[in-house]
Amino acid sequence: MLEIRNLTKIYEDGTKALDNVSFSVPDGEFLVVIGLSGSGKSTLLRCINRLIDPTDGEIIWNGEDLAKLQGEDLRKARRKIGMVFQHFNLVERSTVLTNLLTGRLGYAKTWPTMLHRFSKADRDKAWATLARMGIEDQAHKLARELSGGQQQRVGISRALMQDPELMLADEPVASLDPVLAHSILQHLENLNKEDELTIICSLHYLDLVQRYSTSVIGLREGHLVYQGTKKEIQKMTDDEFKTIYGEEAVRISDTSLEGSVGEVVEE
Amino acid sequence: MKAKKDRVYKEEPSLPSLVPAWLAALLSAIIPGLGQSLGRAIKRGIIIFGSFASLVGLLIWRFRIAAPRDTGIVDIVLKAFRLQPVFIVIAVFFGLMYIWNIVDAYQVSKAAGKPDKRKPVIVFALILIVFFLIGWQIGKIDLYGFVTQFDDSFPILKQVLWPWEKAISYPTEEVIGTAELGYPCTDSPPPQSEPREEKPYLIADPTCGTPTLEEVGKNPETDEWERMVTPGTVIHVEGFNFDPDQEVEIWWRDSAGRFYIHRDLETDTNLKVMPDEDGYFEVDLVWPFPIGDTIRTNVQGVAEWQLQGKQISRIGTWEISEELELAFVLMIETIFIGMMATFFGVILSVPVSFLAARNLMSANAFTLGIYYFVRFILNVIRSIEPLIWAILAIIIVGLGPFAGILALTVHSIAALGKLYSEAIESIDPGPIEAVQATGANWFQIVMFGVVPQIIPPFVSFTIYRWDINIRMSTIIGIVGGGGIGYILVQWIRNWKYQEAGIAVWFIAITVAVLDYVSAEIRERFV
Ligand SMILES: Nc1ncnc2c1ncn2[C@@H]1O[C@H](COP(=O)(O)OP(=O)(O)O)[C@@H](O)[C@H]1O
Ligand SMILES: [Mg+2]
Repeated sequence: MLEIRNLTKIYEDGTKALDNVSFSVPDGEFLVVIGLSGSGKSTLLRCINRLIDPTDGEIIWNGEDLAKLQGEDLRKARRKIGMVFQHFNLVERSTVLTNLLTGRLGYAKTWPTMLHRFSKADRDKAWATLARMGIEDQAHKLARELSGGQQQRVGISRALMQDPELMLADEPVASLDPVLAHSILQHLENLNKEDELTIICSLHYLDLVQRYSTSVIGLREGHLVYQGTKKEIQKMTDDEFKTIYGEEAVRISDTSLEGSVGEVVEE
Repeated sequence: MKAKKDRVYKEEPSLPSLVPAWLAALLSAIIPGLGQSLGRAIKRGIIIFGSFASLVGLLIWRFRIAAPRDTGIVDIVLKAFRLQPVFIVIAVFFGLMYIWNIVDAYQVSKAAGKPDKRKPVIVFALILIVFFLIGWQIGKIDLYGFVTQFDDSFPILKQVLWPWEKAISYPTEEVIGTAELGYPCTDSPPPQSEPREEKPYLIADPTCGTPTLEEVGKNPETDEWERMVTPGTVIHVEGFNFDPDQEVEIWWRDSAGRFYIHRDLETDTNLKVMPDEDGYFEVDLVWPFPIGDTIRTNVQGVAEWQLQGKQISRIGTWEISEELELAFVLMIETIFIGMMATFFGVILSVPVSFLAARNLMSANAFTLGIYYFVRFILNVIRSIEPLIWAILAIIIVGLGPFAGILALTVHSIAALGKLYSEAIESIDPGPIEAVQATGANWFQIVMFGVVPQIIPPFVSFTIYRWDINIRMSTIIGIVGGGGIGYILVQWIRNWKYQEAGIAVWFIAITVAVLDYVSAEIRERFV
């Protein structure tokens, strides 16, 4: 159970990216965060694993306030939270295998990793994960040599290497075409269903939201403006969606024919 | 559409000219550019005025140099025209430029206040042409001389381009074949030389006679004192067993033991004869006169002379010439100068590059200050050529390779510091964030997020610099910074073009190999 209480983030330049946001995510949930570009989705996700320090509020996870953690404790907590990024954020000049093993850094001893030494168990786990994501044959390629869809699978694999209990996915499919988007989200859905991994994922398209989410929250200018269950979101019409979301909201199926998916909501 | 509009020439478009067009033209005739300025094209006017002023200055200077002894404008100009016809061309274009400046002033002030303006293409084109022509004259550009002298210099160029005769040398030995002569002739003249196996000898015929004699005496016909020369006996000389195809010098030894080389009186050069493939030659020689008065005679009263055929002959097989060895050794020194400079440069520029990377240094005003300071210093160091750094280094540590290493190190730090810092600045924060999100600690983040991103550009820049440093080290010797450049200039100054050619070849080969290797490595790494 993840519980966000009164979370506020004000950036150094004064931008109030999150304003008193509270919600909770039961274990095993596939929570989708929707909202316009600039509404604070990335900020919210980055606050949870403390890539960004929140200005105020609590992030209670397994009885611990993540917002207060420092140093070693923070790193220990981060190990259990995987993260997937819109632009994959792979180390492009490293191999796929190395990118996966990076996911084990939090568990490994520091000095062996300085020499790129990982335990046999870690290596086996990497190969198993690659096999699970169907990219075994790419293991020794440089990450930048892969296609977008493959790169995102590496991104998910890296997060899986952490043995996460929570997965944060910040617009994981916004840089991909619709077919790939479904394929990546299906991977996440599998993890959610089979591994009972809690997932918090920001998405843009109503049909993707309806298809994959088990619950939804909506952000607008840093405020929490919508909270809905799967049922509620299923019944939602485009017009309702737009009132929460903004005029730009579209279904991915509307845009796929024009091939301009990535530009619908610009990041 | 918008961008296009912006490019239309505008200059205070709405204001009308301050003076009528004819007056603008007149003013520009007196002071070029003034008419344009008053015609509301101030920038154009200033540029035209500046161009005219500097061109006139340049022309006065060049004309004076061309005709330094003349006074009076007309004399100077005519002399310059005569001596260097390019001045005529310059003058024509200068005149055109002047006239067009007047026309331009007229048109500009006429068009002032109207929306559509004339672009100053022609007048600026003319200004450029005049600058170009003056540059031609200042640069003493002489294509005719280039072409004609190219022919004359061809023998030297050939030596430089194909210097390999000097790459090997042979150990040599002086071999001598002799024949005995006697003066005057007696009943028993000196015997003929004994034929020798393998070794050279001369056969003279006859073996006795008279040297050329010089007397001062009274000419019985004119009854005056004169120098009278009686030519010596002509001796037919045959040489045997000499080295084929190697010149032989003929020497005389007189009775007092003095040696002189036989001069060919017709050409006034030392006589050199070339043996045929059997090592044989024959030549007729006039017995020269002895220098000095001392004549020693043996018991029979005969002065004993000797005729010698001397040959510098190769013994044994070829060996590497001293010059080739020197060039080779110095080339190695050169490569190591470049290598050591790169090594020190890399070590020192890595820390510097962190200070010069904006993304690392923009945390607060203090670090940003350091950033600007370091950047400034790097730019200053970089803008001073390595050759100048070498001269400074020589003042400190004296001539030699260390000075070269110092100079190139200093320049490398600046150049690499900048390149490295730009590599650091272009690091993508995304992967670093991702590594951080896995729970990695600081060392791990650096090792897995930062290092993979900067290693390839660092390696690439380092090799690029290594390449440059070795090129530089080949010429740093010119000012005394060690390496092959030093001996190269020495050889050129001493007209040893073949030796210089060897050095040039070494440099060219090294640089070419390096070029290939560095390109290859960079391709692998990046
Ligand atoms: N590092 C930052 N410094 C200042 N403002 C930021 C920073 N990151 C994001 N913001 C601002 O915070 C707001 C929320 O941004 P973000 O969380 O990225 O939104 P989203 O992911 O929904 O597009 C935006 O107004 C954005 O400009
Ligand atoms: Mg975002």
